[in-house]
Amino acid sequence: MSDSFGRGLWASWAGFITLLLIWQIISMTRLINPSIFPGPMGVVNAALHDVPLNRLLQHVGISLLRVGLGFSIGTAAGVIIGVASGWYRQLGSILRTPIELIRPIPPLAWIPLAIIWLGLGESSKVLIIFLGAFFPVVTNTYKGMVNIDPNIIRAAQILGLRGRRLLLRVVVPASLPDIATGMRVGWSYSFGCMVAAELIAANSGLGYLIMNARQMGQIAVIVYGVILIGVINLLTDFVIQEVIIKRKLRWQFSGAS
Amino acid sequence: MKKSMKRSIRHAKNGHIFGLSEYTVKIITVAVLVILWEFFSRIGYINPLHLPRPSKLIATLWELMTVGYPTGITVWVHINATVWRILQGYFLAACLAIPMGLIIGRSYLLGRATNSIITFARSVATISLLPLAIAWFGVGEVSRVLLIAYGCYWAILTNTIQGVKQVDANFINAGKMLGASRRQLFFRVILPATLPRIFAGMKIALGVGFMVIVAVEMIGTIKGLGALIQQARFYYSSNIAINGMIFIGILGLLISIGLDWLERIMLPWAVGLEEVKR
Repeated sequence: MSDSFGRGLWASWAGFITLLLIWQIISMTRLINPSIFPGPMGVVNAALHDVPLNRLLQHVGISLLRVGLGFSIGTAAGVIIGVASGWYRQLGSILRTPIELIRPIPPLAWIPLAIIWLGLGESSKVLIIFLGAFFPVVTNTYKGMVNIDPNIIRAAQILGLRGRRLLLRVVVPASLPDIATGMRVGWSYSFGCMVAAELIAANSGLGYLIMNARQMGQIAVIVYGVILIGVINLLTDFVIQEVIIKRKLRWQFSGAS
Repeated sequence: MKKSMKRSIRHAKNGHIFGLSEYTVKIITVAVLVILWEFFSRIGYINPLHLPRPSKLIATLWELMTVGYPTGITVWVHINATVWRILQGYFLAACLAIPMGLIIGRSYLLGRATNSIITFARSVATISLLPLAIAWFGVGEVSRVLLIAYGCYWAILTNTIQGVKQVDANFINAGKMLGASRRQLFFRVILPATLPRIFAGMKIALGVGFMVIVAVEMIGTIKGLGALIQQARFYYSSNIAINGMIFIGILGLLISIGLDWLERIMLPWAVGLEEVKR
């Protein structure tokens, strides 16, 4: 098993390096103008010289701040409303109606309305990111609340748990895996929303960095920015997956496997 | 006793209020919300520039359908443009991703070699490629269709690979034992067993494509639902923006209903699968 894993890891790196090599060779043939199609070395060069590190860190920081804020509010609201509508079914059937009606509208379609409502400032971007996180979290939380094994609830009731304690000690923990799924989907949506909102209307952040580079014709900087966005998305998703979900929900997953 | 009665109501399978069915409750909720919205708009609690009242929205809807916005481009033209772009990108992605996924899924080494690339490419937000696409292909249809294709491609690819890998080994062994050639094994066993998963990927891909289309239409075009709402933003006409959003929502809903229907007709053996997965 470990042998096949080692071979797999080797192949994984080999694939990645091969791709980089092919990219470098194509760019070195100079069939396409390197200022339009920069090679890996060109991108590294641009990363070192065209984007000062402190400016870059500012862009990354403001982007992470926006997405973190929108995602936190969206997740909090999604969990609260999802839990409430799963626990009080009558309230749920009323609350879920407008949510189900609005949900099919992709968050990015809110950009124009958000700008009309809140102007071009931070709050309109945070609203878009909020919407990106809110809908996956609220639907998954509700799904988790509704699909709990009724035996678990019955067992808890027999053991004397009722009311709020039943909700907080049994029902919410039992629906945590679904909440976690919603959070991961919500994070990727929020992240995409952040980039889009910054592309369309912003003067800072990662999305702005690449849109500005396009206007300046620095294609190597765009490629650098795109790679950076991918890496940050991967890292943050990894953090959410490994640190929050795996650690806090270890008992859930150890039970499942 | 009273308390336990209350709980049994609370845990009733669907939220009955005054003995009404959930469906009725939903309709009443929508009606009440719309009436409240209209009422508070009329007495001036809601700024009509931010949230126009429902009757105004319906008037705008009629205008959009007959006169169009910008004048001459009716909402049908916008819908047509959007759907056409999605379909082009979607089919391009499916044509590339399904064969690729089948090949990668069948080969262990290839699967490993492409794994890191696929993981990375998926995590690159499709929309972040917009400036690059514009720089390479201009602010035209090519850029838009390619971006939609990119977004759809990875969803279909990863699901196809997973689908091939998850084919029950017993099916393959049984096929081999019954003397199926490699080709027969592939077309008669592996492909049909993979199709439900491919379809799942194509459903996800359509959602992704729908996210992407709205953003890519906001730049450099006046046709398409994304362009419609972006134009509305420039002139601060929230009534047109809201109408456009409703159209986008309905379109997305119709497409996903259509795909569910198609799946049931084309893949009757996949029906039980949803239940197993849960």
